[in-house]
Amino acid sequence: MEHGLLPASLYYPTRLTALIGILMLLTACSMGQMVVRSSQTILDSGVESMNRETDLQLARDAMPANLKLVEGMLIEDPNNNELRLFAAEGFYGYSYGFIEIEDPLRAKLLYRRCYSHAQRALKQAGIDIDPESATHEAVETAVSKAGKKAVPALFWTANCLGKWIDLSRDDLSLVASLSNVAILMQRVIDLDDEFYFGSAHIFFGAYYGGRSPLLGGDFSRSEAEFQRAAEINDNKLLIVNLLQAEFLDRQRLDQQAFHNRLVAIIEAPENLYPEMALVNGIAKQRAALLLDYEDEWF
Amino acid sequence: MVLTDNYLTRWYRLLAATLLVTAALTSTPLLAERTHELKFATLAPAGTTWVKLLQDWADDVEKQSNGRLVFKIYPGGVQGDEPEVLKKIRFGQLQGGAFTGYGIGQIYSPTRVLELPFLFNNIEEIDYVRKLFMPEIEQGYRDHGYELLGWMEVGFVYFFSTAPIKTLADLHKRRIWNWQGDPLGEAFFNASGLSPVPLSIIDVYTSLSTGLIDTVYAPPLGAIAMQWFTKTHYITNVPMANGIGSLVVSRRFFQNLPQDLQKILKRTGAAIGEQLVTATRKDNVDSLEILTAKGMELITADEDLQTPALQQIRIRAGESLMNNGYIPAATINKINQWLQDFRSNQAAETRHAPD
Repeated sequence: MEHGLLPASLYYPTRLTALIGILMLLTACSMGQMVVRSSQTILDSGVESMNRETDLQLARDAMPANLKLVEGMLIEDPNNNELRLFAAEGFYGYSYGFIEIEDPLRAKLLYRRCYSHAQRALKQAGIDIDPESATHEAVETAVSKAGKKAVPALFWTANCLGKWIDLSRDDLSLVASLSNVAILMQRVIDLDDEFYFGSAHIFFGAYYGGRSPLLGGDFSRSEAEFQRAAEINDNKLLIVNLLQAEFLDRQRLDQQAFHNRLVAIIEAPENLYPEMALVNGIAKQRAALLLDYEDEWF
Repeated sequence: MVLTDNYLTRWYRLLAATLLVTAALTSTPLLAERTHELKFATLAPAGTTWVKLLQDWADDVEKQSNGRLVFKIYPGGVQGDEPEVLKKIRFGQLQGGAFTGYGIGQIYSPTRVLELPFLFNNIEEIDYVRKLFMPEIEQGYRDHGYELLGWMEVGFVYFFSTAPIKTLADLHKRRIWNWQGDPLGEAFFNASGLSPVPLSIIDVYTSLSTGLIDTVYAPPLGAIAMQWFTKTHYITNVPMANGIGSLVVSRRFFQNLPQDLQKILKRTGAAIGEQLVTATRKDNVDSLEILTAKGMELITADEDLQTPALQQIRIRAGESLMNNGYIPAATINKINQWLQDFRSNQAAETRHAPD
């Protein structure tokens, strides 16, 4: 039987199917993409290991290389939503934990990059909107269609944009987008209020606590939001208390509460929450720093 | 031995000189003046252009006074609203603050003649009249226990509404917010025949959400800062008034400063005020563009929301404020006269300008 130019063995049905399968896979997904996708479990473990890190300097030194690795993987697989969200989370954590205090300008650019990754993930999740520039009506309409699967992209887009705005308070165009952040965060709460340690509640705690009631602040609401976030984390996530001191206690001009809360953070046991040791370590470091501002702020 | 004697003489002189320098250095703290601390409150949030400029001012004063006058700035309204800050100044808990017309009304109310509705047509008119009026404002503040350091502006105030406002009839259909307890706002609404909804500024955002009100007034910058623009869709392109502002300290604090520090504070305060006015005017222009880019529609008013109908509202509002003693008749007449002079001069210059 004539089999043309291909070896006869390839004409057996099973092998043929396998070949077609491989070819199809190669068409839809490059070799690089396959490698990237097969490595994602390692990244998951890497994030878990980073969250458990107790040595802040080690974490600080390790993060840039990891972030560049993720961005390199994104070049291979640009539509990979999970990677986009890894990148957003990584840039947020690196900027907040290690850069913001010493170099706010650089931190602002890192938050912008964080936003860029998260917003692409949002688009991939079917919400094709840019909350930095869109009208709040457009954001409200787009976000109202979002389901539970979109929660990670909604949260990271909002969180990154929120911090970008926080460090750009003299940029009125960005400040005007703050209401869009609130719309996204509210949707996160509506869909899954415990997502990422109840961080949407932490956001609203700072959002309502960090402003005078004349400018839209609401201290009771802020307190309730911080309380809900603390409940979700069994009072083990120190960042909740840190932000309550930094935003609500400061805005209320309650020096005693500010002082006591920060001292309690510093004195909290090192093994309070081993799964989130890094975040708690950063909270302790920032608490000590905020205490240095006590005389200036009160 | 001559060499030894000379050497010893020089050594003794050096020792004497060293002792003198040491004595001078160690006695400096005893002779130095005490440091004066100026606790200064503002509603502007930390990180904004306003607070950055105030911080520059504080740094400049500290430098020029060699650290004898230092600021402690409380941004973002942490010390409370303007009436509360004024109370704290009276009790000596604070020494100064940045105020809008609302607070200025409690310092020296005739100043608010500059906020009469539909008074000014442009910035040149504002600057001309303000310059002539300034000595009286300064004296008025002084007589009421405050020292004016710098002048500021909140900027032209516009109506923000959920439905377009093109005519006075449109305005009558709206549920308009009035800042509770503000005599100027009350005078305007009475003169316009409007029945506003008096509310504290704290309740405005929520009341826009619930529909209790559907129209507010604010400068564009304020509409962004307070996020009111997210609850309204239209801006009526008729500046209702020009919001004023001041940087002040208590007279008691000012008088207790040595004269050189008083001069530094006055000179730098006036300069920073000018910078704040420039920055605010730019921010308001930019804000208007941002708001339209964010989807707000700028409404051009019809004839009856232009002069002279608005002039009638201004006159009636002025009369009402004269009657209740908030602004003396003489002040209103003087401002009107200056404005008329300026407009006549401008018209004459335009007529004589070469083609």
